Parts: sequence; structure tokens; C-alpha cells
Amino acid sequence: MAVTKLFGASIKRREDPRMITGRANYTDDVRLPGTLSLAILRSPYAHARIKRINVEKARQLPGVVAVYTGKDLADTLAPVPCAWLPPNSDLKVPEYRALAIDTVRYVGDGVAAVVAEDRYRAADALAAIEVDYEILPAVVDQEKAVAEGAPQLYADVPNNTAFVWRLSGGDVEAALAQADVVVSQRLVNHRLIPTAMETRAALAYYNPGSGELTLWCTSQNPHIHRLLLSAVTGLPETRIRVISTDVGGGFGSKLPFYAGEMIASAIAKDLGRPIKWVEDRRENFVATTHGRDHIDYVDVAAKRDGTITGIRVRSYANMGAYLSTAAPGVPTWLFGLMLSGPYTIPNVAVEVYGVLTNTTPTDAYRGAGRPEATYILERMMDLVADRLGMDPVEIRRKNFIPKDKFPYTVATTLQYDSGDYELTLNRALEIVGYDAFRKEQAEARKQGRLLGIGLSSYVEVCGLAPSQAAGAMGFQGGLWESATVRVHPSGKVSVFTGANPHGQGEETTFAQLVADELGVPIDDVEVVHGDTGRIPFGMGTYGSRSTAVGGSALVYAARKVRDKGAKIAAHLLEVSPDDIVFDQGRYYVKGAPDRVKTFQEVAGAAYLAWSMPEGVTPGLEETHFFDPINNTYPFGTHVCVVEVDPHTGQVTFRRYVAVDDVGHVINPMIVDGQVHGGIAQGLAQAVYEAAVYDENGQLLTGSLMDYAIPTASMVPTYEVDRTETPTPVNPMGLKGAGETGTIASTPAVVNAIIDALKPYGITHLDMPLTPQRIWQAIQQAQKGS
Amino acid sequence: MKISGSYTMQAARQAVWDKLIDPDAIAGCLPGVEELTKVGDNEFTMAMTVGIGPVRGTYAGKVTLANLNPPESYEMQVEGSGRPGFVKGSGQIHLAQGVGGGTAITYEGDVEVGGPVGSVAQRMLGGVARRMIEQFFGCIEKQITGG
Amino acid sequence: MKHQITVTVNGTQYTSEVEPRLLLVHYLRDVLNLTGTHVGCDTSQCGACTVLINGEAVKSCTVLAVQADGAEITTIEGLAKDGQLHPLQEGFWEMHGLQCGFCTPGMIMTAYDLLQKNPNPSEEEIRHGLEGNLCRCTGYQNIVRAVQYASDKMRGQPVAAGND
Repeated sequence: MAVTKLFGASIKRREDPRMITGRANYTDDVRLPGTLSLAILRSPYAHARIKRINVEKARQLPGVVAVYTGKDLADTLAPVPCAWLPPNSDLKVPEYRALAIDTVRYVGDGVAAVVAEDRYRAADALAAIEVDYEILPAVVDQEKAVAEGAPQLYADVPNNTAFVWRLSGGDVEAALAQADVVVSQRLVNHRLIPTAMETRAALAYYNPGSGELTLWCTSQNPHIHRLLLSAVTGLPETRIRVISTDVGGGFGSKLPFYAGEMIASAIAKDLGRPIKWVEDRRENFVATTHGRDHIDYVDVAAKRDGTITGIRVRSYANMGAYLSTAAPGVPTWLFGLMLSGPYTIPNVAVEVYGVLTNTTPTDAYRGAGRPEATYILERMMDLVADRLGMDPVEIRRKNFIPKDKFPYTVATTLQYDSGDYELTLNRALEIVGYDAFRKEQAEARKQGRLLGIGLSSYVEVCGLAPSQAAGAMGFQGGLWESATVRVHPSGKVSVFTGANPHGQGEETTFAQLVADELGVPIDDVEVVHGDTGRIPFGMGTYGSRSTAVGGSALVYAARKVRDKGAKIAAHLLEVSPDDIVFDQGRYYVKGAPDRVKTFQEVAGAAYLAWSMPEGVTPGLEETHFFDPINNTYPFGTHVCVVEVDPHTGQVTFRRYVAVDDVGHVINPMIVDGQVHGGIAQGLAQAVYEAAVYDENGQLLTGSLMDYAIPTASMVPTYEVDRTETPTPVNPMGLKGAGETGTIASTPAVVNAIIDALKPYGITHLDMPLTPQRIWQAIQQAQKGS
Repeated sequence: MKISGSYTMQAARQAVWDKLIDPDAIAGCLPGVEELTKVGDNEFTMAMTVGIGPVRGTYAGKVTLANLNPPESYEMQVEGSGRPGFVKGSGQIHLAQGVGGGTAITYEGDVEVGGPVGSVAQRMLGGVARRMIEQFFGCIEKQITGG
Repeated sequence: MKHQITVTVNGTQYTSEVEPRLLLVHYLRDVLNLTGTHVGCDTSQCGACTVLINGEAVKSCTVLAVQADGAEITTIEGLAKDGQLHPLQEGFWEMHGLQCGFCTPGMIMTAYDLLQKNPNPSEEEIRHGLEGNLCRCTGYQNIVRAVQYASDKMRGQPVAAGND
């Protein structure tokens, strides 16, 4: 572990100057002369047959250049492939077209596309398209969709069941049969809408001279999108360049591959002009993937002393109307594998029904599967503790995997790399003052005040790897990451990474890593990402993997550069490479520090190549593809303290303490920022946000007026602390920090509120815990007593 | 979305019934109706301008009356679509002899909006529908009583 | 159908022919190519498009370009003077008040207005003052600190230690 001066330093972000001065380049900021505006007509019905589309009126409007229906594009664009195909799950992948051809299956399904001189004329044209629909019965709820007699979305997907996936370890049935207590609960992990502040956008330009298509788009993974674009258009990858440099947030919603990007690309060549599509927010609510939406039936087996001996989960995951790009992996592997969490639960069994409904497709949303697993475990821990009359702290302590047992193989066969779960719990309790709070709570209860404290101890899997495991899970890609370190003749360095940060700050942290490895000033290092024309093939940014995997690739590439430099320096200094010492950007002869070549001198020599050591090629540039041997497993404990107003059900946040362990930390300021934002999103699920459909499949929360993403006054001050337990699976010992906050916070908040409601005998309420829902529960409880 | 309610008119049941199925009365009283044309037995096409929340627009569609059971009950279906999206509604209307010669009207039904208007105006829908129904019955009552 | 308007944006006067329905935010972005002002929604909730019109923060998606005729407008591009960042820009940078950066221009313009009206706001006043602007990345804590930094600096107080 090379801990040098920049590793661990909270240096200011290099991304920021362009962003605080309004000079960033988000997709819609890219301007090309002659650009036409593309707009997509979307179905207002959740399920309908398209009887007739009349586009003639639209075509004749001034400024309209072209109008396309699904039929018009059927030969131009192949169906969108699904990129995660879990084996042994009887998976059925329905045909997913950029524009629907005969049948629309959710409100927001594309029906037609228009191209006009500007966005206003495109909107006029959309309104002039006449579509006759034959309305079909719709189904929205996943449990109703699998029931007998439910409307069917596809003739070849019986019971709307796209897959049934099972995983087990140990013997959960025996554990349940032999348990002192079995605690059962139905838990709803409701649907969320990612709502990145930048909606999706695409700008496609076909250069007839080079035959190259350039697509600027809002992508978390430009190479994957290039590959998929090649697959649907038939253009070879060599003729496609995808650029996504500044992306205004993603949270998983910019991983999948979508219609707007495809259509713009497909028609740019024919129309001979650049085509821009910018999603409006209303459109984003229905046409960009949603997240979560699980209904989970959970049974936990426990001994009287609080030892958890088994967990059985049956889940109905709402996939929406089609299987989005990575969607089948989210409620299966990313969820099921983590169902023992930080605990030594020897028997685990999970069965997941992937259900198609007349709703917007779901896919990864921050945490993707792990928040769902953590919510189940942390809710159930409290329910079991309540049943046994134990303190929530004690039941967690009792079941934690002990720190001396790592690496630890859990029932689902994952091998956790490293951990000290009790350490984060203890630190969190100390910061919040747990014992004192319990006294205060007891006093407050006497006065009729409702204080509550909620714990959430979690472990999550990130830095997903290795590629072999990806293959076994049916993920149609690798889980490695690439990096190229190019040293220029002056000694300045360009770093090319396959990761694609969109807010996570790797332009800064990666520069810190390379500056350390090469001993050059950080200002001499530029980080290039998000342009398939410049970077090596890479997998992109998601699943908190960029630094653990992409950063490691970078460190290895930098070390290759350093080693080559050492050979050149040895040659110039006329000594054996074994006698060269590299320190802070200087190569010197062991024992003779005045015989020295700077890194910059060596770089110059490598490019002049007037005198190279034998067998060493000119230039100073190295690429490394890093495929880690294992995932990383960040963990921690979050504690939330709330007060609930018994008269209104209003929740006030009093404290929020987060103690996370993400291994070593390159830039604490950035990691803290990730944790803050993650907490806000997870907390929002607990109390504010919910995607609500009516029974006809209309999204009732279809704008920011109704979908409650929190504002500044709706969130508390976060008290953030850390422990550092390094991982052995990468050279920096770091784990990944992008999703911990979201994973941990939802159950911490819910547990706190339920704890506050304990005097009423309330043990569980489904989210979001709005004042109305809490108030009703209190009324109900008072009636009952 | 389900809506239901009641309205009491100081008018005889038969008089109320006659007005409620009279196209001219409907056209004159349903707020925003710009045109109502009879196209069949108890079937009318119409153009209607409605503001739901922030979205105001014109919808073209049809009104159908069904299961007429004079002077006690009938069903009414309204559907229209336009630039802002679509609006659909169906409901049962019951007329009961009220005390003192009045007529007690009760209604219940379903209203749905979709398309662009759906995403921003859903939560205003209940209020808008109720207000329009109140206005409609109020206007019909005035026509009968000449008030 | 086009109307002539004259506006002064970041100190430069522009005269343009615009459609009456053109939103000010689209005028700034698509006619003047000032793309620092962002569009994050279509219902005036997110505040990403906030600019100063005659010194006051306004969501430029709620204003038609023709309504801005004769106005003085400041966008994020016009906030730094002579290459010197405004204390708010400095504060957002120092305090890690942004991640993806998309909401940042609107946040800064709203905070500008807030500090103009209340040079020394409490944390609660800052949070309340920023309610019309949504951020999905930061959880707001560092945005609050960024505004506090700017407030201190603009009042000549010693600023809280930055992050490096």
C-alpha cells in the first residue's frame, strides 16, 4: 500500500471550475450547425393496440422534416438486446423495440418520432399525429399480474412471468422447522424514479466523409452503449463513436440503452443533418427506467437467544413492460446473494418472480438489489428483536460475522473480503449516545412524545468482479476495467479510463492516484473519460466499481510505466535496472542519489529514442486491463433519530449518524459527499418518494410536482464518520463508496420511525412513511386498544 | 379515479330527467362544451375545452348515454382526446324522489386522464371533475326552475 | 409573428427576433448559446434554469423571452468578474457543493439572490431559501456550507477552512 501525499487528501475537484462557471458540456450543451430536433410521441395508454396512425397532418406542418412510426423503423433498428440473462431461470425476453409496432405496453411506450427544425415545431408535430388505439386491459401490480385471469402482456410469456430465479444455501426449511421462533412479514419495497437532474439526451451526427457516426449521449457506460448501438443498427463499432463526458447524474438510469439514442443515430445518416433529442422531465418520468418495486414475503428462523438460523424470501419483482438492459440481474443476483448481509445466517433461500406489468421498465437504481436485501434484513432484525424482547443493538451484535473470520464465505457462497462490523456499530452508537438516548426516549414517552432510534448495519457488494463470475451469472459483459497511462514527451500525463464518472469525481481521485504513482505534480495529469474515440474499451461507472476496479487498472498501468521508465533511466545512468530507485518522480542510483534522471527527462528520452536499452521499445505508454479476483464488501452502521408528532404523523429528523467502512479512502471530501447524497436518496424512499400508478397504469406521480424528491429543508444534517478496513483484492485496499448511503439509510429511517411508534404496538408499516400513513396507523392502533 | 357525490334539485323528477338527456341542455350546461352533435340514439360527438390544473386544452370526443331507465337512472360515458392527452369518464346517475317534491341525484363513476395532461394534472382531477359536475347540475336546475 | 426584443445579458446587449412562445431559457441557450443555464424540468420545480433578471433570481423557464424585453439578465457565465470567481462559486468549489454539476448554476444564482436579501443567513434560512432548487447528488449539506462560506467571505469574515 503506497500511501503517499495525495492518497488520502481532500483536494478540491478538478471538475468544478467548468461546472461553477457554466462551461461544462452536457449533451444538450453540444452545438452543431444545422441540428434538427427529434421528439417522440409516447403512448397515453398503459396497454393498447395501435389500430391506425395518421402522420400526414404532422408531416405537412411547417418546419417538419420527417415522421417515423414503429413500422417505418422496424427494419432499420433491431430490437434492443437484454444484457443480463440469469441462467436456469426460465427467462423469456420479450421483443423490445425503439418504437412499438402493434401494441403499446406502458404509458410512455414510443409510438412515433418526428424530426423538425426546432423543438417547438417538433412538439407541434407530435400533437398533430393521430393515433387510434384499441384500449386493452392493463395490469400494474406484480402480484395481480401473476394471478389467474390477469391481462397478459405477451402471448409467449405465460402469467406475465419473465423468469423465476432461485438461490439457496444450507437448509432453510429445516431451520424454519427447528426454530424457537419464526417471524414472518410481507414487505413492500416500493417503486422509485431515479430523477437525475439532467434528463436523458442524445445528439447524433453522421459524417458522410469518414462514414463515422458520433453519438453524444447521457451514458454511464459509453462503450456498452456503442456495442448495443452497433447491434441494433448494424453499423460496425469501428464506425461509431459515443461521447458522454459531462453527465448530469445517473443513479443507474443512464445505464440502460433506450429509444431516443437509437432513433437519433439511425436517422442521422439518412437525413444528412445532426439530430438532437432532449427528453423533457415529464417524458423522463415515464420513459427512463424506474427502480426497486419488490413485494417480499420473508420468514426468519431464530433461536430464543436471538441467533438467526435461517431466512427465506419469496419476491415479486416488477420488471415493467419490457426487460431493460441490466434489469434481470438486479432483483436476482444483486439481491439474492446479499440476503445474509453482515450476519452469520447459515441457511438462506430466495425465490424471485420477475413479473412483467404495464408500467415503465425497471432497472438498476442506486444500490440495485442491495438496498432491497438490506431493507429486508434490517427490518427483520428489528422485528425478531421485538418478538424476543431484545435490544436491536444486541441482536445485531449477536449475529455479526466476527472480525477474525474473514475472508468469510456466506451461505449464498460469496466470500466476503474483510470486515469489522462491530467496530462501525460501536462507533455509531458512541457518536449518537445510544444509552443516553434510550433514557431520554423513556422520559419523553412518559410525556406522550414519540422519539425513535433506528439502526441499520449493512454490508454491500461492489467493485463487482471477476469476469468469470459475471459469466456464471449470465451478465453479458466482463467486469474488468481498463486504463491507459500515456506519458507525453514533456512528462505530462494523459490518463484514459474506461470508467465514466458523472458526479463521482474520478477526474480528481484518478489524478491523485497517478500523480502519486508517477511522482508528478497533479496538474501534470489529465484524466480522459467518456469518449470511445479516445479511451480503451471500458465497462463504465455503476455499482460503486469505478475506483475499486478502474482505479486499480490505472495504478497497474502507471506502475508499468514506472517500470519501463526505470529501465530507460538505468540505461541513461549506465547501471543495472536493479540498482535504480524511484522516489517522488526521480530515478536515482541506489546509494548515489545525485546520479538522477527525473521522470520528465526519462519521458523525453523515451520519445527521442536516440538511445534505448536493448529490447525496450520507444515511447512511454501502458495499458492495463484489471479483472479483480473478488468483489469488495463495504459495510457500516447508520443510526437515525426521529421524533414523530402523534397529532399529525409528521416526522422530524433529530440526528443522522453514518459510520461507513469503504476501506482506504483517496479523497475523504469526495467520499463524504457520496455518503451525504446516498443518505438523502435512501432517506427519501423511507419518507417521501414513491412512484404511484392508478389501476389503469397512469403514473399519478408523473412530474416533480407530485414525485417528492427532497429539497434542502427536508433532509437533516448528516454526521459522517469512518473506519478503515482495507480489502486485499486490489492494490489500494479500497472498496467503493457510491451506494453505501442509499443502502443503509432507508431501513435506518424506517426503523427509527417504527421505534417511535412502539408505544402504539406498531411493529411495521410499509414505506413511504408519510404523515398521512403514520397518522392513520396511530388512529388505527388507538381504536384497537 | 373514483368520484361520487350527490345533488338535490328543487324540481320534479320527470322534469330533471328530461333535461338531463336533452342534448341542448347538456351542451348548454356542461362547462366548456363548444359543440355537441347528435350522431345516433343517445350518442353525441362533442368538442370541449377544459383546464385541468395547469393544462388547458380542447378535447374532441363523444358522449354516450346508456341503460336509460326513465326517470330513475342512466349511465353516461364521456371520452375525449386532444393535444393535452385524453380524458375518459363513465358513471351511473340515479334520480330519487326527494322530500318536498325535489329530486335527489346521486352519481358515482370513474374518471381517467392520460398523456401529457395525465402526468401533471392527476391530483387536480378530482376537484375539477366535482366542480364541473356541480356546475352542470346547477345549470340544469336553473334551466328547469328558470332561476 | 416574430417580435423584436432587446436584452442585456452579462453586460452585452442583444437584439433578436423571437417567437412569442419562446421561453427565456431557450432564448439564452439556443439563441445566445449561453448553455450554463440548464433545463431540469418543465413544471418550474427544479430551479436549474434560475438566472437574475434585473437583479432578482427568476426561473427562466417561467418567463417568455418577449417578457424579458428591456431586461438586464445575469447568467452563471456572467458571475465571475475579470477572471475572479464570485465568492459563491468559490464556496461551491471549496466545500464540495456539487457533484454532477447540473443543478449548480441555478443553485448559485438562487443563493446569490438569497445573500443579497439576507447577507448573514442561518442554516435554516439557507435551506429554506434554496427550497425552489433541487439537487439529486449532494444531499444539500455541502451546498449549505458553500453558501455559508460565501456569506462569510462577502461580509469580510474569515471563511471556514475549505477542504484542502
